[in-house]
Amino acid sequence: MSAALLSVTDLQVSYGRVRAVRGVSLDVPAGGLVTLVGANGAGKSSVINAVSGVLRPSGGRVLLDGRDVTGIRAHRLVRAGLVQVPEGRQVLATLTVAENLLVGGRRDPARLAEVYDRFPVLAERRHLPAGSLSGGEQQMLAIGRALVTRPRIVLLDEPSMGLAPKVVDEVFAVVEEIRAEGVAVLLVEQNARRALRAADHGYVLAGGQVVQEGPAAALLADEGVAAAYLGVSDARPPSPGRPGRTSGGP
Amino acid sequence: MQQLLNGLSIGSIYALFAIGFTLVFGILDRLNLAHPAVFAAGALVGIELVDAAGLSVWLALPAVAVVGGLLGLVVERVAFRPLRDRPDAHFAGLIASIAMGGMLVALLQWRYGPDTRRFPAGAFPEQGYELLGARITLLQVVILAISVLLMVGLTLLVARSGLGRSMRAVAENPTAARVVGVDVERVTATTFAISAALGAVAGALFAMNVNSAQLGMGAAIELKGLAVIVVGGMGSLPGALVGGLLLGLAEVFAVQYVGSSWRDLVAFGLLFLLLVVRPQGLFGRARVREV
Amino acid sequence: MLGESTIVFVALAGLFAYSFYAVLVAGQLSLGQAGFAALAAYASATLAPDPDAVGDGAALAVALVVGVVVGAVAAVVLGLPTMHLRGVFLAIATLGFAEAVRIVLLNADWSGGPQGLSVPKILEPWTAWAVLAAVAYAFWRQAPSRYGRALAAIREDELAARSTGIDVGRHRLAAFVTAGGVAGAYGVLWAYFVRLVVPSDFGFSTAIDGLVTAFVGGSTVWLGPVLGGAFLTAVPEAQRALGIEAGWVRPFLAGLLLLVVILFRPGGLASLVPRRRPRLAGAPDDGPAAAPAPETRAPAGVVASLRGVTKDYGGVHAVRGVDLELHAGEVVGLIGPNGAGKTTLVNMLCGHVPPSAGRIDVLGVDPARTPVHRVAAAGVARTFQQTRLFGRLTALENVLVGAHLTSRPTFLRRLLWLPSARRDERAALAHAGRCLERVGLGSAARTDAGALSYGDQRRLEIARALAAGPTLLVLDEPAAGMNAVEADALSTLISSLAADGLAVLLIEHDVGLVMRTCDRVVVLDFGTVLTAGPPEEVRRDARVVAAYLGAEDADDEHVTGEEAR
Repeated sequence: MSAALLSVTDLQVSYGRVRAVRGVSLDVPAGGLVTLVGANGAGKSSVINAVSGVLRPSGGRVLLDGRDVTGIRAHRLVRAGLVQVPEGRQVLATLTVAENLLVGGRRDPARLAEVYDRFPVLAERRHLPAGSLSGGEQQMLAIGRALVTRPRIVLLDEPSMGLAPKVVDEVFAVVEEIRAEGVAVLLVEQNARRALRAADHGYVLAGGQVVQEGPAAALLADEGVAAAYLGVSDARPPSPGRPGRTSGGP
Repeated sequence: MQQLLNGLSIGSIYALFAIGFTLVFGILDRLNLAHPAVFAAGALVGIELVDAAGLSVWLALPAVAVVGGLLGLVVERVAFRPLRDRPDAHFAGLIASIAMGGMLVALLQWRYGPDTRRFPAGAFPEQGYELLGARITLLQVVILAISVLLMVGLTLLVARSGLGRSMRAVAENPTAARVVGVDVERVTATTFAISAALGAVAGALFAMNVNSAQLGMGAAIELKGLAVIVVGGMGSLPGALVGGLLLGLAEVFAVQYVGSSWRDLVAFGLLFLLLVVRPQGLFGRARVREV
Repeated sequence: MLGESTIVFVALAGLFAYSFYAVLVAGQLSLGQAGFAALAAYASATLAPDPDAVGDGAALAVALVVGVVVGAVAAVVLGLPTMHLRGVFLAIATLGFAEAVRIVLLNADWSGGPQGLSVPKILEPWTAWAVLAAVAYAFWRQAPSRYGRALAAIREDELAARSTGIDVGRHRLAAFVTAGGVAGAYGVLWAYFVRLVVPSDFGFSTAIDGLVTAFVGGSTVWLGPVLGGAFLTAVPEAQRALGIEAGWVRPFLAGLLLLVVILFRPGGLASLVPRRRPRLAGAPDDGPAAAPAPETRAPAGVVASLRGVTKDYGGVHAVRGVDLELHAGEVVGLIGPNGAGKTTLVNMLCGHVPPSAGRIDVLGVDPARTPVHRVAAAGVARTFQQTRLFGRLTALENVLVGAHLTSRPTFLRRLLWLPSARRDERAALAHAGRCLERVGLGSAARTDAGALSYGDQRRLEIARALAAGPTLLVLDEPAAGMNAVEADALSTLISSLAADGLAVLLIEHDVGLVMRTCDRVVVLDFGTVLTAGPPEEVRRDARVVAAYLGAEDADDEHVTGEEAR
């Protein structure tokens, strides 16, 4: 019996005839930080969306604390303690910061106060439309919005996307804090180095399948991860030379 | 002054009706053309409740609202939800709602016959008042008051309540709303129910205003309602409000100065002008919606 | 049971439905046809000569001509100011127009008010069917012509249609005018059959009826309106025959039927009829080796140049100060993390979006000031990050649309069955077939684009882009969703295209594919060019590795684009 808070077994996700996810299994222990890395198009977001109930998986099982939650819709999963911080933040721009924090989920005034404590900038901009926040602030808002629901596990989809590195530092610092408070985190990231540095355990996704997994530190040092990102391994024959190639700079 | 009051009175009914369109459009980006049928249903059911069941007019209104709400739920479930993911979803939803509207009107004909129905005598107060040199009946005052109250109530609901927040969230970005824990299906159904309830009450009020109701009243007001939401801005609540009042006033003054036969043209004149000059309406946001 | 009037009403219903079909086939929900019909009816009733003087036939002929012209002109009057409206807005505007016309006619003096005008009886039932047949014939001939395909493309995906060189505005207006003319014919025939022109015959419910008829019959197939008209006229007849009384039951059943059709048969009745789709005559060519090179339209050399190109959205710099040159026969890769600005750059290149600053020159054209379809005409073809195919057209038809600019219009010649039209069509089909072969989709020619696998769809988009014989080919993430084997095939294809003289700009996340295929790689990060050069150099560049995989160390200074230069 695993101690995993979240246990995904042989997950399959299809969009019409396209199989985006072809049998992914992963575990997230309670209070742990697990990351899913891989190139764009590898299926990472599909995994997250299927686990969090935004999409319906076409196969496989998702267990939350032993309870089968496969295919259950997002709004009910939120009540069960599983919440997603979506790719690109997806804050509701025309609603105020406060309203964004209150929308959906469980409205716990104590928790709301905690979120304002943790993110003072949100407290300051409480009554301003969320669309007026900077990218980094919106990311904080998206995370705060998830925290308000008192989650046991947070699924973070590409939190660093489109953010300047300094802001990414702040985001990851927050992720550390959350983890330290006992909330499990499943982190999906294109920025593999950053993610693997923060995580306990990692899974490398390519072509909809897990091609490598292990302790994060080990993956960080592994050559194969770099290869998975920068594409072709050295075993491939080079392409034939073409006549008339120009190789000038821009 | 008299005209002003008349215009506001009828305009508030237009606004109440148009709000139904705009609520659904805001949340689903679809036009619900069964709405006018619900308008007619509200009027006829209202009359029946007063006539046959002996209910007071003022009690009949909430009952009419409930009936409208139920109709709205049915329309959503049958005509809109199954068509959500189709490539020609906008066309299909529009036509499905036309079909349901037609069926509803046919059912109304079955129950009430094709003739004009009226409230029984003495169903509502007759007295009038003098106000700043104009004559206004108690009835008109009450209609105006009810319309305004409902619209204010709706605005408060949308702006302050949890449900309203969820509605705005879904209107802006259904996927993000879902992620955050909003039950998008339930919110959509509720929005439909509210929109239909308002439309039904608008119908009953309209019937009270002219003391008559007939099967075709929905069709007659349908285009005006569309004109109102285009003028006010699709998906904008204050737009529907302002648009409706504007239309009511414009019509009344047009009748006075140009002649009653051209009254209905006012709506389209405004409509056209606005569509060409400022397609997003007075309050709407400039978003491009493809069919 | 089938009385004479029933037969005529079926024909008239079908004719009116055709006026909706004319615009629905291009994806526009215009509901103003009742207004066109009303104006035409009144005009012809007023202007047609007296049949006693010139004879029935001549009078009717003149009336028809007047009606068609008035209808068409009214359509132009309505179509021009509403040109930029889409979807619901267009529907409401056109509906408003029709209602306005009705109200004016109801109240004007010269129109006879609600009583209308009376009209002599000079219409034979066969005339209505003759006109219907003529209109149906024209639409039948239109569907597989270049013009008909262009309309279908606009309906399926307007943006993609634009980028294949189709002038959307002109085509929309043409569809409007067609609708106006057909509605005008309907109005005239209706008036002369009913012998009365009253405003109430052309009201809101008429408009809705016409739309419903068109939809139930099928709004994408030329036979649809006829089927719709027959069906919807037959329903009340059937009800009468079955002893169902008039009153509420008939409209209820009609509504129910409509609902059922919409929910379960979205293509309408016409979807029950098997369709003849264009096919390649004879065996396809022997293979890519036999395929002639696509015509290049510019001499070798600089195909596109960007200088200091910047794009701001509000406070966000999507693209900042990018310089880039593309040469014929060269494959340039554009890579960078998500949000780096690659697609924005490409959109500026193709004319979808104007830059906030900087100059772009593409094949002698400034895309900032040129409509998309003209940039395409200059020799630019592209694929999109999210596949934008014409879903309900077959693969072959998709590619035929791609060749819009290089093929000759055939509609008018098709009406006359001229053999030169047939020749041109066959040449176009052969060319399209070759493009499909080139991407390896020859066997899928007759499959609907929407039914293809994702990888096949990506390849079809490329085939469509090739069909235009472009000089500059822009591919936006073409390998997304492809497996290793397919990606290899793609790489070979791209190389061979460059060998034929095309300039290719390739955006890709499959960095391996980019490194294998490209002569030069440009790396974009945060909207600026991080570095550019031959693949081997770029691959080993530490900054590139950092941008993709993340910084080595949390304490590292961020290496900006400026510092890197």
